[in-house]
Amino acid sequence: MTTLNSTRFKPTWTSAGNSLLILMALSVFLPFLWLSLGSFKTGAQLNNPALLFFKPTLENWKEVLRSGVLESAYRSAIVGLVTVSLSVVIGSMGAYAISRYKTGGSSTRFGILAAQVLPPAVLVFPFLEVSYKFRLNDTLFAVIISHLSFVLPVITWFLIGFFDAAPKEVEEQALVDGLSRFQAFRKVVIPQVAPGIGAAAVFGFVLSWNDLFYALILAPGNSATLPVKIASFNTFRGVELGAMCAAILVAVIPVLIVSFFIQKRLVRGISGGAVKY
Amino acid sequence: MASISLKQIQKSFGDVEVVKGLDLEIPNGQFTVLVGPSGCGKTTTLRMIAGLETVDSGVIQIGDKDVTKLEPKDRDVAMVFQNYALYAHLSVADNIGFPLRSKGVNKEEISLRVAEVAASLGISELLKRKPKELSGGQQQRVAIGRAIIRNPQVFLFDEPLSNLDAKLRLEMRTEIIRLQRRLGTTAVYVTHDQEEAMTLSDVMVVMKDGLIKQLGKPDDIYKKPIDVFVAEFVGSPKMNLMKGQASAGNFSAESGFQIKVDPKLSGEITLGIRPEDIKITSKDASSTQGRIEIMEQLGPRAILTIQSGNQQITAVVDNEQLKQVMDKANISINSHSEVHHYFETSTGLRIN
Repeated sequence: MTTLNSTRFKPTWTSAGNSLLILMALSVFLPFLWLSLGSFKTGAQLNNPALLFFKPTLENWKEVLRSGVLESAYRSAIVGLVTVSLSVVIGSMGAYAISRYKTGGSSTRFGILAAQVLPPAVLVFPFLEVSYKFRLNDTLFAVIISHLSFVLPVITWFLIGFFDAAPKEVEEQALVDGLSRFQAFRKVVIPQVAPGIGAAAVFGFVLSWNDLFYALILAPGNSATLPVKIASFNTFRGVELGAMCAAILVAVIPVLIVSFFIQKRLVRGISGGAVKY
Repeated sequence: MASISLKQIQKSFGDVEVVKGLDLEIPNGQFTVLVGPSGCGKTTTLRMIAGLETVDSGVIQIGDKDVTKLEPKDRDVAMVFQNYALYAHLSVADNIGFPLRSKGVNKEEISLRVAEVAASLGISELLKRKPKELSGGQQQRVAIGRAIIRNPQVFLFDEPLSNLDAKLRLEMRTEIIRLQRRLGTTAVYVTHDQEEAMTLSDVMVVMKDGLIKQLGKPDDIYKKPIDVFVAEFVGSPKMNLMKGQASAGNFSAESGFQIKVDPKLSGEITLGIRPEDIKITSKDASSTQGRIEIMEQLGPRAILTIQSGNQQITAVVDNEQLKQVMDKANISINSHSEVHHYFETSTGLRIN
């Protein structure tokens, strides 16, 4: 790599590029640093953001445990997993139909994203109304249904491209080799788009995990998800910044870890070299 | 093994009618090649036999069974695609064994049969690999292995050699012939390459615009093409075709080119002469004159592009003939009238 760099780019450009990368990395890294430090600071110390060396306190983390942040993280995980599982199962079938059979015509391809154009406020009150009618208010079920309204279309849309790229001949081959259409879809097409499904699932999970708006309105009480719980540190007595920092870290770290392990799999295309053009 | 029968098959994609009432009987155990220019409906026909395309009207039978409305899996056909269509997530062994597994054959038997098939194709050492670790030729063998493993009624080949380089293509061509002879399974093969069609087929079907133009043994089609299209399509280099007038045993083309023809002919005709039927000699005042423009040497023979007046003529000559004219730019062209092909100019149909 060093030889490649030195022959292709002038050293000045390489170092300029590196500095730019460092700058960008810092812009991402600094908020985390601030959060991490903040989660160990007392209220008074938090008023001085530049304070790097101080006697750390665990009070914020204790508060986070006391106030049920972990339970709400658990609820968020359930909401995310259920939403994504349903979206992947329904979305992959929908995306396949749209990709292969042009179901709904060409307008469906982007039309399925139409709900995203609406402000969430337009959708949330009908959801609230219906959830009241069915006595589902303040349940995870209501949150999951509302999350499906934006995760499912996005995952479907995301997967259409992957199905488009999957060679048609392979599933035709499977049909000739003795599979029914659904078997061919399950055993041959799905493995080909597996990296895409993985990427879509992570993406969809993050969308659901981060949602505050629907969760806050549909389940603000006992079923509060993590973002709702984090928001609750913004009390009428003021913002409990230290506890909030700790809670935000609880929200961010799992996503970071999952992304770190999955990123290589996301990039790798499983079907590379299977079909020669 | 089974015969295939297509009766009045019709298929349109939107407003475009790609197969227009096609009738075709493919005898049991024969190697039939559908050949034609792109868009002639040959691949669609093959896909309809496989069940990958529905039929708008008509009947398809495999053996005695009407399969017109059956799903591909119920037709007992095996297919080899142009791009091999291997299952990228499965090993070579699992790829070859796939049709058996989907039939529910037990594992021991599958691995036994896979080993057998792999050995017959010379790919035993590749069984554990994934398709992307194979060369094009090896992938092709795997695809063929997957097709032969379950002894289907019919083999369907959709331009399986198009993605291979020239040398490998010849090699696989002979291998496919050998395989089909050994297994005796009815095969339908689609190609746009007339040379491939000539060499592979027991029966060659030349198609154009969704219809069969001519059907027969390759040699018969080569010797007696039914019309100008088939005459030009079959054979490489292409047949020389000239429009002109015939009278009293003389033919004079629109370009001014003159040659002796069958004295019974008269009026407007199109004359066709295969390049190898053109004889060239050193200049001789009694026959048509020409000038060698381009000489493409192929070892035992050469392809000459000859300019005679305004007429361009392609000739294939052996080295003996070539020696006589090697150092001369100007030559004489001759051709026996027995090997001429005569077509009606207005309809393009064969006269003799």
